[in-house]
Amino acid sequence: MAETFVQSIITGVMMGAIYALIALGLSIIFGVMNVANFAHGEFVMISMYLTYLIGSTLVWDAVATPLITVPILFAFGFIAYYLLIDRTLRESYVVPLAVTVGLGIFLRSMALILWKAQPRALQYSIIQGNIHLGPYMILTSRLVAAIASVLFIAAFAYFLYKTWAGAAIRAASDDLDAASLMGVNYHRTYALTFAIGSALTAVAGGLLMSFQQTDPTGGSRFGLLSYAVVALAGLGSLPGLLIAGMIVAIAEALAMSFFDPRSRLLAIYLVFILILWLKPKGLFGRK
Amino acid sequence: MYLRRIFSIQNAAMLGVVIIAALVPLQLGNNQYNMVLATTVLLYAVLASAWNIIGGMAGQLDLAVGAFVGVGAFTSGTLLIRWDVTPWIGMPIGGLVAVGVAVLIGFPMFRFKIKEVWYALVSIALVEVMRVLFLMWGEVGGPTERYLPIDTWSWYHLRFNTYMPYYYILLVMLVIVLLVNRWIRDTKLGYSLLALGEDEDAVEVLGVDVRAAKLKALVIYAFIAGAVGGLYANIYGFIHPTVFSTDMSVEVMILGIVGGLGITYGPVTAAIVLVIIREYLRAKLGGELAGLYLMVYAVVLILVALYQPRGLVPLFNKGWERLKSYWGARQRERGIPTSIENK
Repeated sequence: MAETFVQSIITGVMMGAIYALIALGLSIIFGVMNVANFAHGEFVMISMYLTYLIGSTLVWDAVATPLITVPILFAFGFIAYYLLIDRTLRESYVVPLAVTVGLGIFLRSMALILWKAQPRALQYSIIQGNIHLGPYMILTSRLVAAIASVLFIAAFAYFLYKTWAGAAIRAASDDLDAASLMGVNYHRTYALTFAIGSALTAVAGGLLMSFQQTDPTGGSRFGLLSYAVVALAGLGSLPGLLIAGMIVAIAEALAMSFFDPRSRLLAIYLVFILILWLKPKGLFGRK
Repeated sequence: MYLRRIFSIQNAAMLGVVIIAALVPLQLGNNQYNMVLATTVLLYAVLASAWNIIGGMAGQLDLAVGAFVGVGAFTSGTLLIRWDVTPWIGMPIGGLVAVGVAVLIGFPMFRFKIKEVWYALVSIALVEVMRVLFLMWGEVGGPTERYLPIDTWSWYHLRFNTYMPYYYILLVMLVIVLLVNRWIRDTKLGYSLLALGEDEDAVEVLGVDVRAAKLKALVIYAFIAGAVGGLYANIYGFIHPTVFSTDMSVEVMILGIVGGLGITYGPVTAAIVLVIIREYLRAKLGGELAGLYLMVYAVVLILVALYQPRGLVPLFNKGWERLKSYWGARQRERGIPTSIENK
């Protein structure tokens, strides 16, 4: 009993770091631009397919593919911003919601046309295997992915707080009009934010593909998962995001081992709904 | 005055469209595929028109249709399978159970002022939660399908070997839903909903009970969706947790937005056009290009949201008005007085 509990916590902490990385892109887009990207899960799904494509044609390891997929997703986010999102900023929330839902459906149907409905997975990754620690088992792939997630979140925090572009993003997030007057071109700042947010899903996609498969409908699962993490963390706190990811993943792992294996989605959504009722700004929300 | 309202142009047009719709099966009746298509169009038209009450008028983009339809389907279907209760009773009970679920989730949501994007997210999460719950609840749901009784022609079981009766039942439902839509519009509730769809805080300051209004709209919509769910189980002949479909929720929302938020006949028009296109593409190209029909939805939704956020139906109306004023100008040139001048 106690062993299962500790094992669930260990698994939860590692998966939580990965969840935080998946949600990071959504969190910065939502936090900075106040645009809820309903296509976020589909971005993750598309990065996983790109990882699969590169991994299977170039025979690269999944962990190395972000070298190619990150620039692709960055460019994609940049184009998507100027083509779609830029026009919706001053409208009521219905318009950006409809546009991103449409973008999500578009990406899903594109994946369905290109790769058909069957799930795809890469055969082997160098980070597979497991480490035994007494009675507990740690999957190497999750451990490496979790460490990489933490590193990426730290690197992003550095970018946000120590560079000029990061300062511009934070300024636009705090007060758009004042930032515009101080010489921040908010179109360009937002485009950069959106592109970074979508590029971060490529990193997450690469890590996920080292131990998971992907299918066209998987996007909506990642999307709701990300929203649960973001709702729990609140907007504007990077360490909070990490902790929120871990809470969600631990709840998920505990529900799976103590209640019913099928209840993992249930745990995530219950956490999501409860936090919205009890603390709508999230645990660590700045605004 | 009252008679004039009953014999208005709008009612005459509605009656005409209903008569034409009622004659459709005579033309298509021998072709089962066309009947399935027509029934699907009506099903989505009813759901999208019901959605219009909360999504269009009140401006809350609800994505819980799948949950309400599923609850209704399971209630009505289980009553029929277990206790041989006719769906004529099962459908309203399904509607009431859906109302129960709606109040359970809606009351705290409106109490805690969860709105806009977060409301949409909670409502779509509700669909997934219900699906998993029914998958785990072996007594009623579970991973295997449960089949409704098979009859060639039974009004008691509401099971037929053709889609034609379902088509007519749905047509009656559609007329009722549209009348409810128009009735709400003329009541205090309708004015409150339309106003809070524009600016919630301002309306609240003016003394409108926003929470009660939203909850009423949600209840009416959930009841209709639950009752339609009861019929849904009968049309497809089995119940399974996949009736809790987020795809259906999103699709109904798309029909509402494309038709025009808050416009009574918008969702119906959008359902007729889009569902026919979707089913046509699915039948013609479903084999080679499996996802193409979804892509059409996505492109239409994006284009409408970007360039015509009020929906497509107001665009048609504008064209019609322009045509009318052009016609009026022509009449005036010839010295014939027109009704437009009097307005």
